[in-house]
Amino acid sequence: MAEMTSATSVQRPVTTMQSKKRSEMLAGYGFVAPAALIFLVFLVIPILFSAYISLTNWNGITPLTSEQPYEYVGFDNYAQLLFREGTRQTDFFKSLKNTVYYVLGVVPTQTILALLLAVVVNQRWLKAKGFFRTAFYFPSITSSVVISLIFMWMFTRGGLVNRAVGALFPDYAFINWLDDPTGVVHSILGLFGVNLRNAGDWATAQFAGMRVWEWISGPSVTMLTIMILNTWTTIGTMMVIYLAALQNIPTHVYEAAYVDGANAWQTFRKITVPLLRPTTFFVVTLGLIGTFQVFDQIFVISSGGPAKTTLTIAYLVYSNGFKNSAMGLAAATAILLFIIIFAFSILQRRIVSERADV
Amino acid sequence: MGKSRFLMVALAIIMLLALSGVVAAQDDVTIRLAGWSSSEAEDNALRAAVDQFMEANPGINVEIIFSPDHPTTMQTAFASGDYPEVFYIDSSKLPDWVAAGVVAEAGDNIVDQDDIYPSLQEVFTIDGTFYCPPKDFSTMTLQYNIDMFDAAGVDYPTADWTWDDLRTAAEALTGTNDAGDPVLGLVTPAELPRWLPFLYQAGGAIFDADGNVTMDSPEAQEAIDFYAGLVNDGFAGAPSAVDSGWGGEAFGNGRVAMAMEGNWVINALNEQWPDINWGVAPLPQGPAGQATMAFTVCYGVAADNAHPDESWALVNFLTGPEGALMVAETSFGVMPARASAADAWIERFGEDMSAFVEGADYAHPWVLPVGFQDFIDAFNDSLQQAFTGQLLPEDVLTTSADVANEILAR
Amino acid sequence: MATTALPAPKSGSAVTVRRILAIIGVGFLVFFAFIEIVPFVLTVANSFKCLPAVQAAPQAFIPLPPFGISCQTETGSVRSATEMTDGIAFNPTTEGYQEVLRQNLGKWFVNTAVFAIWVTVLRLLFDSLAGYALARIKFPGNRLLFFIMLGTMMIPGVVLLIPRFIILKQLGMLNTYQGFILTLAADAFGVFLMKQFFESIPGEIEEAAQVDGASRLTMFFRIVLPMATPALTALAIFSFQGTWNNFMDALIILGGNPDLFNLPLGLALLRGAYGDTLRWHTFLAGSVITTLPLAIIFFVFQRYFVEGVSYSGLKG
Repeated sequence: MAEMTSATSVQRPVTTMQSKKRSEMLAGYGFVAPAALIFLVFLVIPILFSAYISLTNWNGITPLTSEQPYEYVGFDNYAQLLFREGTRQTDFFKSLKNTVYYVLGVVPTQTILALLLAVVVNQRWLKAKGFFRTAFYFPSITSSVVISLIFMWMFTRGGLVNRAVGALFPDYAFINWLDDPTGVVHSILGLFGVNLRNAGDWATAQFAGMRVWEWISGPSVTMLTIMILNTWTTIGTMMVIYLAALQNIPTHVYEAAYVDGANAWQTFRKITVPLLRPTTFFVVTLGLIGTFQVFDQIFVISSGGPAKTTLTIAYLVYSNGFKNSAMGLAAATAILLFIIIFAFSILQRRIVSERADV
Repeated sequence: MGKSRFLMVALAIIMLLALSGVVAAQDDVTIRLAGWSSSEAEDNALRAAVDQFMEANPGINVEIIFSPDHPTTMQTAFASGDYPEVFYIDSSKLPDWVAAGVVAEAGDNIVDQDDIYPSLQEVFTIDGTFYCPPKDFSTMTLQYNIDMFDAAGVDYPTADWTWDDLRTAAEALTGTNDAGDPVLGLVTPAELPRWLPFLYQAGGAIFDADGNVTMDSPEAQEAIDFYAGLVNDGFAGAPSAVDSGWGGEAFGNGRVAMAMEGNWVINALNEQWPDINWGVAPLPQGPAGQATMAFTVCYGVAADNAHPDESWALVNFLTGPEGALMVAETSFGVMPARASAADAWIERFGEDMSAFVEGADYAHPWVLPVGFQDFIDAFNDSLQQAFTGQLLPEDVLTTSADVANEILAR
Repeated sequence: MATTALPAPKSGSAVTVRRILAIIGVGFLVFFAFIEIVPFVLTVANSFKCLPAVQAAPQAFIPLPPFGISCQTETGSVRSATEMTDGIAFNPTTEGYQEVLRQNLGKWFVNTAVFAIWVTVLRLLFDSLAGYALARIKFPGNRLLFFIMLGTMMIPGVVLLIPRFIILKQLGMLNTYQGFILTLAADAFGVFLMKQFFESIPGEIEEAAQVDGASRLTMFFRIVLPMATPALTALAIFSFQGTWNNFMDALIILGGNPDLFNLPLGLALLRGAYGDTLRWHTFLAGSVITTLPLAIIFFVFQRYFVEGVSYSGLKG
């Protein structure tokens, strides 16, 4: 991208240069025009429209053709979500909390698992590669609604998962995967005898509509189930991307390492992982964008419950806009989500590029 | 192009697009009828009825549009200002759609309105205005597993059952089945509409006559203590507690002895659990008598409509006495909204099912004011926590009352 | 890695360690492959059951004769689960498939294919043109355009439903093939992918061609695109599969005309609404029919697909 920023600095009044530059410019605009037009009409304008709607109290139903479909309310929707005490603020921060736990749980897990699987599939001695590749990619080609329904069915309390675990460990008490609001961190703290009553004053301190104790709950059991589902479906795509990158690493690099007496772990840690850094960047960016917007699975499986522990920001956008008849509020929620994803992407970029400099 | 200029242009385009929506005028009369698909047989019956209507009314063309997600499809259409002339309205959506000004008032357009159950007319009446005639309806009743009652030696539920009877029976029927899985007396989903009959049976209500929230009344306390108490004492539980997705499944799989579902349970049990031997009784009586919930859908007519007369003609054809008979003859469980067709329905489904129809006499509507989704969520969430003992029953009431008051203050 | 291709190892213990690692690796792989596949085995098995058997526990997955049983008894009542399952074995039926075929499945299938093919072709063209320009051609606004495109991926789609609907209505393209196809005819992910690819290939060939005076467009089609076949294959598969399974856009754009429904909309219609019983066997039969073409396409093209991704500038 460095070459593009320098484009504006080259401006010498040499006629041939200028005409060449002009034709380049025309070619550039011509080439991007079809895609840019589609983006403008179907994405940019709707986004700007939403940004405008976020400053109104439009319910999302009253026809925009009617006399006064909405009133302009300035930043009131944002204030309700961020600052004003009440259900809307609590819901927003709950959904933010849930989404962040979700992202932090899913992105590293799917990235690491995909990498490990790709490394194994990439082994030359492995038979039936095609089978494995297809097997892992299969969940990605099925519609998310079908996948979610099948998953629900496997994870019901008397379902396949509990029965399988129960058969292996007779003492296992069935977990109610699809309907258990208990936070995972709370459960772990509970093992050490820590609960809200004896945790100390910090736990009951309020912050943005929730107690600190609630903030540190971790994902609920049901959220964990949806995290497993998402990891399971995306792992294939990520693995295929890693696999492709691995196949591009020349064999002589490994041979050299082998001659130097590096063991398998050292080779993996010192050669494979660093060489895959750009791929990791791509995979993590896709993962971040995808997980921050998790919606389909929540919609089919939990509708945000139990006890709002699977309420994510994208689902909150839907529920404000289409169930609560508050489209202005939904748009404001969406814009905030956009800002959050953007910030995370920048942060991620910073971290990866800093590491790359070392 | 500068950033600000780009924004200006884009905004100008948006405004143009937003403000210039116009409904195209048409020469021939086409009425769009938007709804959702039910069973194959019901869909075919509707198509046949519409064909009949078109035959009897030359010059009117009716186009049926089944949506895979009706509320979303309708909302986008409303927003754009160009929406179908006739459309299904689920009772829970009516207040929002009326507030948005997209539903026409029924006025004196309804044929033989007195024949429609008063409780159902009330569902589709807001601030004294009746909006749309119901298509069909369901009521909640008590379903019981005959074999399990026999095995436990408990008398079958009757119309005279009180809360105590329900509780005693639930206790007696709780245990384990042959496979060692727990069996509960009753399945009690942590959902507001499942609890509301108990509130009404106790003589309570969500609002008083002036619209104030009365969720903190002693009656409400009594109702929540009873409902959550069944769970806390171990005689009842949510469907997931007995490995099920919903009450009908728990009942069908023999994991509960009683369920409180609506008419949809009839077809579900017949089709998926044909083995089960079951009966139906009215919901038990509370301190203040009988109550149940009615779930219903109406045919709404568009407020912004070039052909109101033709639209009402279609609606009357589908919901009038003949339309009601058609529902009775083809339905997979839901009931016709007119008293005149009740016998035809009972004849088809059997005398045992009459508790469903009788429910129309004392049913309360499943309708809440605009913006009350937050209230429903708050209630369901805290009730769930009350089931697990994390909250006390009274916390459910205070939490949801707070949210209700907050919504009213918005 | 590629262990076996390497020269003979120096010590015996290294061999043992590598063997153990390999066994652990394969175990890991088989375990995950198993987890990924079980749901599909169950989907296929259940699509061949009668409704009551779908609900029965334990889940039967071994088909046993008699095949093609009827889900109703001679008297016309529904057969119960115990009559057609025995532990993990069951008698298969095709009633779910028959029921789904009585729907407008053929039409939905053709629509889905038409949409997927058109969207894929247009995306290949538009995304690669834009990706190439953003990677190679210097023009003012280049960088801004790229960031706007990336930014569009970060907004949740639900909030765009209504504005899109209104725009399409204004354009007169609601409930039309072209409305749906055009809306999806370019995507940020594709542009991103193609840009990465073009940045990764050497520019000398194009420079040589430009000296010949070939115009940018001719050069793009004659020289650049053929070089991009692997990346285009990857983009084609992603696009095809995304469009094939598209539900939300289809609902908003095509929801008003049942003749234009695609398979996901049709399947959702089958699910029914408002507490109606989900006819699992029919729904799963529909799912199998929906997924099968994609599975075949992926299996056939996976080699090119992996290659394509590997050339798209994501290499190590």
